[in-house]
Amino acid sequence: MYNCTKMKDVIDVLQLQREKSRQVPAIDYTETENSFIAVRYIFECGIKLDAQPLTIATAAILYHRFFKETDSAGYDSYLIAATTLYLAGKVKDDPLKIRDVINVTHNTLHRGSVPLELGDEYWNMRDAIVQAELLIMRMLKFEVTVVHPHRYLLHYLKSLEGWFPQEEWDKVPLVKASFAFLQDFHFDAAILDYTPQHTAVACINLALQCYGVQVPYTDEADGGVAWYSVFVEDLQKDKLWEIMEKIMEVYEKEPDAK
Amino acid sequence: MGDKLKRYEKVEYLGEGQFATVYKARDAVNDTIVAVKKIKLGSRAEAQDGINRTALREIKLLQELKHPNIINLMDVFGHKSNVSLVFDFMDTDLEVIIKDNNIVLTPANIKAYMLMTLQGLEYLHINWILHRDLKPNNLLVNCNGVLKIGDFGLAKFYGSPNRIYTHQVVTRWYRAPELLFGARMYGTGIDMWAIGCILAELLLRVPFFPGDSDLDQLTRIFQVLGTPTDEMWPNVKILPDFITFKTFPGTPLRHIFTAAGDDLLDLVAGLLSISPLNRYNCHEALQAPYFSNKPPPTQGPQLPFPSSVQRNNEHEKPNLKRKLLETADGAPHPKRLVF
Repeated sequence: MYNCTKMKDVIDVLQLQREKSRQVPAIDYTETENSFIAVRYIFECGIKLDAQPLTIATAAILYHRFFKETDSAGYDSYLIAATTLYLAGKVKDDPLKIRDVINVTHNTLHRGSVPLELGDEYWNMRDAIVQAELLIMRMLKFEVTVVHPHRYLLHYLKSLEGWFPQEEWDKVPLVKASFAFLQDFHFDAAILDYTPQHTAVACINLALQCYGVQVPYTDEADGGVAWYSVFVEDLQKDKLWEIMEKIMEVYEKEPDAK
Repeated sequence: MGDKLKRYEKVEYLGEGQFATVYKARDAVNDTIVAVKKIKLGSRAEAQDGINRTALREIKLLQELKHPNIINLMDVFGHKSNVSLVFDFMDTDLEVIIKDNNIVLTPANIKAYMLMTLQGLEYLHINWILHRDLKPNNLLVNCNGVLKIGDFGLAKFYGSPNRIYTHQVVTRWYRAPELLFGARMYGTGIDMWAIGCILAELLLRVPFFPGDSDLDQLTRIFQVLGTPTDEMWPNVKILPDFITFKTFPGTPLRHIFTAAGDDLLDLVAGLLSISPLNRYNCHEALQAPYFSNKPPPTQGPQLPFPSSVQRNNEHEKPNLKRKLLETADGAPHPKRLVF
């Protein structure tokens, strides 16, 4: 079902991540336009706006949901990205000022440019965001609530922590890796296809596999008791590995990785 | 989306607030009467901020809430640059009922209203939501006597320890003492206090603490309940806007509610406990002997109904315009958020 070479890929990817975190080159968003890049744009702008992590995650989810409903060719992905960020601020009660959103998204797209004057271009952009916001709301049938895997992830990890001997738990950065996988999974629309509970389990399981850690009192082998069976009853092993593969595929889509 | 416009045929204009216009409409699909709240994008300056936050909050919370005593958001639709919310049609509200001098509220009637309110509120609190604007005007009643909590424009999730909340919530007369002292972290107690004020108002038929400023509000509260001491309310002095008040001894509740039995007085005292730590929560309130003692609560259809509002939906009822006018958020709330 799963082979060793794939597993090696995962570890390599982690290595890559670690190296890259030292220096991330600024992306020129005007060069390429695809959903991966657009979500990257959401994250970059969201961090600059000092938005809360769940606000940024909400924006990414709203972005994917929108383009699931429609053909991506018809809309400017950066306008939609900026709008989902603005809308996510309202949805999560983490208000972002529209002026700030415009300044940050404009400057990130056109690096080095000065803030927009209060002229036609600014007002047009503001109009565009307001219109796009309404369009997104209607396209999503006003269903903008997002149940995040984050809360499940936190709860599962807290429980797991109690199963491990403390020194064992402190040795490997399971928590950090799990959350990193979850955040990165937001770059792919595939995140919409799975329940938040399953996604959370997959992130942890991937982290466990990467570090070759076995959860105490459980058995990996067929017929054994999987660690996650106490958290989710309806997750088959096939499905779990499918989600893990989807998470890993995200790293192949990353442009710099090529 | 044009279909939705056709689906809800406008029957009558009900009222208008700062952010919304409310219509009574007939749902052509189910042949029922509904209330359509059309959020105005308003002036250019307002429109520039996009979808109204209050409306979005209401949509988001109500989509997930289903309870017989919570207003039901049946549908949401957009047309041009408008957003419209479709609600159950409610004929009147508790404020109209309390103010109607032709209505006699029996102990059984009051018990029924309290029971429905607390059951709806218990459901909200279980779902980690604070209403933050409970008052008779927001407790809607339909012609079957069913009470539903409405207007979720100020409602909010609670429970995150790192969240700081504004204390500028709840219409002053129903605002809990911890809010008046500027508490930024608070819980379900603020809704419970408002319920206590509403219960008192049902009994007295006038607002219990009609303060005309925040200071006057606290003075009125302490005149009845006594100025809190460090013993009654530990650490009250560290609240941001705490000020020392003249020491009032308080008035025994039985001198105010002369016709009330001990079980009812216990409930009032539990809800209007000065310290939020000792105040009843919904569960405790519903377990109070008052609800299991006689008389049993009145059944919905037997509850009194304002003479100004006809039970038959088919007729014009101009007086209920006022209610929906006030649900429409904003202008007609002279009491709300005025400091």
